[in-house]
Amino acid sequence: MSDTAKKALTWLVVLVVFVALMWIASLLTGPEGTKLQGLAWLLWTLIAAVIIYIVYFATAASPAWVVGTRQVVYMAIGAALYGVLTWWANAAALPSVSLVSLRPTVCLPIFFGFVFGPVVGFFTGAVGNILGDFLTGWGVFPVWDIGNGFMGFVPGLILLFADKRRGLNALTIAVAVLVVIAMAIILINPVVAHPWTGEETNFGGWVWVFLIGGVVVIVGRFLLEKAGVDLAAVNIWGTLGIIIGIGFASIADIWINGYTFFVAMVGEFTPAAGSNILNAMILTPILLAAYQAVQARTGR
Amino acid sequence: MLITWKYRERDTLIQRLDPRARIIFMLAMLFSVIQFWDLRIVLGFLALALAQYFLARLTWRETRRAWLLISILIVIMTILTFLTGRGGVSTAYFEEHLITRLGPLSLPIVGWQLGLDITVEKTVFAVTQMTRMFAITTLAITVPYTIDPSLYGATFRGLGLPDKFAYAMDLAFRFVPTLGRDFGITLDAQRARGYEVEKLEGGIIAQIRKLAPLIVPVTINAIVSGEDVIDAMDLRCFGIGKRTWLQKLEYKKADWVLIALSTILFAGCTVVRIAFPALGYVWVPQWVLNLS
Repeated sequence: MSDTAKKALTWLVVLVVFVALMWIASLLTGPEGTKLQGLAWLLWTLIAAVIIYIVYFATAASPAWVVGTRQVVYMAIGAALYGVLTWWANAAALPSVSLVSLRPTVCLPIFFGFVFGPVVGFFTGAVGNILGDFLTGWGVFPVWDIGNGFMGFVPGLILLFADKRRGLNALTIAVAVLVVIAMAIILINPVVAHPWTGEETNFGGWVWVFLIGGVVVIVGRFLLEKAGVDLAAVNIWGTLGIIIGIGFASIADIWINGYTFFVAMVGEFTPAAGSNILNAMILTPILLAAYQAVQARTGR
Repeated sequence: MLITWKYRERDTLIQRLDPRARIIFMLAMLFSVIQFWDLRIVLGFLALALAQYFLARLTWRETRRAWLLISILIVIMTILTFLTGRGGVSTAYFEEHLITRLGPLSLPIVGWQLGLDITVEKTVFAVTQMTRMFAITTLAITVPYTIDPSLYGATFRGLGLPDKFAYAMDLAFRFVPTLGRDFGITLDAQRARGYEVEKLEGGIIAQIRKLAPLIVPVTINAIVSGEDVIDAMDLRCFGIGKRTWLQKLEYKKADWVLIALSTILFAGCTVVRIAFPALGYVWVPQWVLNLS
């Protein structure tokens, strides 16, 4: 079997498993959408595990998956940092249908994933979010922990490529398309009624956040390419990680909280992903540039 | 330099329990309490969490700082949720009964009309939210004061994590107080230079950019300090062979009882939640409803 056929088969398996699990989730939650909400998080944790394992098995030979002393220590530092700073940032809640806060610290899982690999990125996002929520007294939200993990996991996948420029154009187009889809969803249904109180909120203004965020990320990718491929790539991979991570958690909430598609995507995904993209696109390149300067000075 | 949680050895019922059994109990409590918004049930969980706290013989003096910090945060978040009626937790009521209406207050210059509807459900939800957060916090606060930091790694390994991930969890928990202190020092140092995080000016992008002097030094300092930890671990041949732990944990009868009770608690709560979906929503006592 050729490499192309193998890849196609892998992605077909991913798709089939994903659809099958969504179907099972739909069955378990019942027609009224509330029957097994208490257990839906377990199923979505399983879905996330399946996705990660499939990506891992498809690329297991890559050194990106190696977990040595360095990775262990940076997993710990990343998670502790994300936990402590998220605890500080959790005080700034954003209007949404659930617990969404303004998180400048979102740059941390992206940075740790991008620099130290997908395992470190996932651990930083997932364990850091658990720590932050725990310190705040919010409890544990497994799918949001996994969503935060994905925000670090996806940028870490860049280490699968020997040449970081490879696939960057395709990813830039993917990010542009995803941002346009997010904007279209908001424009189709900008007003969302709070699922419990019934109070209506207009999320239309977030279109501008996605527009500005998308434009800055894409233009920045071309401008920063002259300074270094890492600086050019980090925001593209980071934005993709945010969209996948927050998208995963928001879609899961359709089953877990019984939200409608538009409540989940407009009322939850939009404020969380929009603010995260804005925070990440500014702070991640600054953090990466500072790290590269230290790295050049210390030679490590 | 690493600083540690304020752990102190005490001969208490709680400290005699295996940390793994205690973590399982805590997780069971957490995943059980988050299924409910009924104040009666949440109060039950708060009572259980407080029982654990008092059985651990923790004093107000040693936990005062943590309590004050977390309480301020919980109260602010509850008030915010109460004032906005949204933005907090996925709330759990479908209709509202008005107690009183404050305002509208007309703001000068901009002319905005501010008003606040105080409803029965909003009030009960705020109380429930606060109770739930305090129950979770009481559980969380007990951990660092009563579990020996040198047992973190062995505990996570004993819970089934691979050696490297158990050690990463161990380090992550140990790094939290150190990085918390570093963050405080950086914040103070930047304030001494005239940096005011409470008064960031400019547009949203400028405000985010102005957070860099806070986040970047803390992160880079942590990474640079991490190199020393990596060297120390490499010199001790970390990850070369199968890892052994200095202290060995063994379950005793009381630990098995606690694990069994935790399992029953979580399974029972899940079954009850499925059988009685109403418990997932705010419970409003009749006497409070009569206020409307």
